Amino acid sequence: MARAETPKSGGILRCSMNVKEMTDPATYDWSEKGNLARHMTEPLVRINKDNLAEPYLAESWKASDDLKTWTFRLRKGVKWSNGDDFIADDVVFNFNRWLDPATGSSNQGRFSSMTKKIDTGKKDDKGNPVMSTVAADGAIEKVDDHTVRFHLNRADISLPEAMGDYPALIVHRRFSEEGGDLSKNPVGTGPFTLTRYSVGEVAEYKKRTDHPWWGGDIYLDGIIYIDHGDDPGPMIAALASGQVDCNYRTSVEQVLTLKAIPNLVTYETVTAQTGVARMKVTEAPFDNKQVRKAIQACMDHTKLLELAYQNFGAPGEDHHVSPIHPEYYKRPALKQDYALAKKLLADAGYSDGIKVRIDCVANPTWEQNAVKVIAEMCKPAGIDVEINIMPGGTYWDRWMKTPFGFTSWTHRALGVQVLNLAYRSGVAWNETSYSNPEFDKLLDEAGAILDPKERSKVMRKLEVILQEDAIFIQPFWRSEFITATNKVHNIYCQVANESHFNEVWLS
Amino acid sequence: MIVFILRRLGTMLVTMLVVSIMLFLLLEYTPGNVATKVLGPYSSEEQRTLWLEAHGYFEPLWVRYSSWLGDFMTGDFGESVRFKVPVAEVLWPRLWNTVVLGFWVFTVMIPLSLILGVMAGMREGSALDRTISITSIITTSIPEFASAVFLAAVFVFWLGVLPGTSTMTGGFEWQQLVLPVLVLVIYDFGYVARMTRASMAEVMTTQYIRTAVLKGLPYRRVIMRHALRNALIAPFTVIMLQINWLLSGVIVVEFFFAYKGFGALLLEASLNQDIFLIEACAMVAVFVAAATQTIADVGYTYLNPRIRFG
Repeated sequence: MARAETPKSGGILRCSMNVKEMTDPATYDWSEKGNLARHMTEPLVRINKDNLAEPYLAESWKASDDLKTWTFRLRKGVKWSNGDDFIADDVVFNFNRWLDPATGSSNQGRFSSMTKKIDTGKKDDKGNPVMSTVAADGAIEKVDDHTVRFHLNRADISLPEAMGDYPALIVHRRFSEEGGDLSKNPVGTGPFTLTRYSVGEVAEYKKRTDHPWWGGDIYLDGIIYIDHGDDPGPMIAALASGQVDCNYRTSVEQVLTLKAIPNLVTYETVTAQTGVARMKVTEAPFDNKQVRKAIQACMDHTKLLELAYQNFGAPGEDHHVSPIHPEYYKRPALKQDYALAKKLLADAGYSDGIKVRIDCVANPTWEQNAVKVIAEMCKPAGIDVEINIMPGGTYWDRWMKTPFGFTSWTHRALGVQVLNLAYRSGVAWNETSYSNPEFDKLLDEAGAILDPKERSKVMRKLEVILQEDAIFIQPFWRSEFITATNKVHNIYCQVANESHFNEVWLS
Repeated sequence: MIVFILRRLGTMLVTMLVVSIMLFLLLEYTPGNVATKVLGPYSSEEQRTLWLEAHGYFEPLWVRYSSWLGDFMTGDFGESVRFKVPVAEVLWPRLWNTVVLGFWVFTVMIPLSLILGVMAGMREGSALDRTISITSIITTSIPEFASAVFLAAVFVFWLGVLPGTSTMTGGFEWQQLVLPVLVLVIYDFGYVARMTRASMAEVMTTQYIRTAVLKGLPYRRVIMRHALRNALIAPFTVIMLQINWLLSGVIVVEFFFAYKGFGALLLEASLNQDIFLIEACAMVAVFVAAATQTIADVGYTYLNPRIRFG
């Protein structure tokens, strides 16, 4: 722990992180991209250290009793770096853009309670009408310059939390007109401004001097992200030789190595980050529920956490609701049962065993480790899992299509958020192609209960459905880590790997 | 001689043309794949068709190839899928960084290996020769990834005297070049030294050297005047080929030290199927391979009168 000292101003924080492209926050698909934009552009709501939604560009919010009308008051006196005032038009512009299918933003799923489906007039190969999802009429209302009201078509308690996700950073109202490229036209409300950017190499920020930041004092003069490539080796070497002050993420395999280096401090946080070995229910043999249940019956989740993640975290329960989610309902632990697995396989017509193939990424290695343990656990039941390890880029090209793949999921503050993004029928990131009207209905219901205790009652039913349908194996919930030198103060590992550097100072 | 040079240049162009055709067929034969790689997994069938149409992918294959070649010749390599910027914008700076690295590797390695090779070859079988030969064999048989780990362990983690990565974020720093250059030199000098030694040893057994020694010339003069020029012809070719080796040899070193060069770029492009970047990198590699080969041939002919006048 850092001693209680008086914060000192000055200095540049150097952080090791992949410097990816950062064109358009709305289409970001990596938290690194979010971090590149985060010091310039800001969200309405921020998920803080303790996994709570805290006011950011939005000063406060209030929901109606039926949770369908939400009023957000925007902070006053916030200035864009181009001199404009931050006003409701900015927020309206961002929401309209997110909900426009042409933008291709994952926010469309996040704010699905503000969308409607329309018939495009076209027909697909089977003659069914092609539907498109667009913003519902009147969903976003500008009340005055500093108030925006959202009219949802169903109750949604996760609205503030959804606004804290990394693709929900607010860009200027003329973002599209002015080229739609944040790296070339870095206009933002944040305390820093982009001064150098070379994709794959470096991103450098300087503290803004044109206008005091709304959040008060900033200690750092600047931030530099340095790209050390996909391998963790150079990141460790850079930390050890003092070339950087902190990193974006320490993977579980490096924790012990980094702890052994003097002057380095590793920060751990328990998160709702996980990975799922998800099965596409529209692809053989996973369209057969018995096959999926058989694989599930082979799993020992406690062992999975121990073997693949050095016991840093919590065992998974195959329903993607984390013990740190406020509405989590504790269910009895799943048990490994090979007799059951064999019986299910035989019932499914695979009494001689079955051969399946799973895709997974090479890095981070915990993912392939988890997959290897899953494959080993499947063997005794006669399930031969062939592992297809591929580079990240290749996997993310096919993650929506592969019949059986291991996908990592980042932290979300509420359980309903994850389920809405990943398992609701037809949403953009529904990688299992799962479609269950009963599940969708219960999810709507859960989304209408503000009290976490009450909500957990509905959550129990949702958890049961997901466990029963066995559309994915979720090995564990994992802890996350970052490492910094001991001269970096007020730094912490945020649950979704967000770089929160506004309070950081260097001694 | 001029005819010879022209002929070599012609061969070089044909080689590059053939490789470009192969590259094109391999990567761009199926347009659907190109569209998926460029527009990403979230793109709809409709968007892909529109993109393919706009970029002329429905033209006959040879038309597509010639326009692709035309774009390439004029330096238009397309846009990198991963970096979302024109390929040239990342390719040239990265290639330049590798040239800088290569320059220092050669500046250290060539004098070192020539001197050691000549010293060893001068007195074949001597204690000096044995020491140099054994050292060369040992260093050459340690792969770069092993020596990189070892040197980093010693100089970065243990002694703490050198920086662990070479990103050159704050501008050029020679300290950051030490380890990458060292790793490459250690791996490569032994090979060139051994070639020089063999060549030198062979020259030392020739009649004219024996005559020079027997007629009473000082030993120093025999070496400098008579032996060296002939002994250095073979190493010249070997050194030229090292340029080509370096282009792929740097991949491990650049990756390990996060040096932002051509090798690391090529690796990143391939791992992420960044199709236009792969094409551009491959063509650069082919050009370097063909060009060094041509220079080696021409240079060898020039240096060796037996070939020149034969």
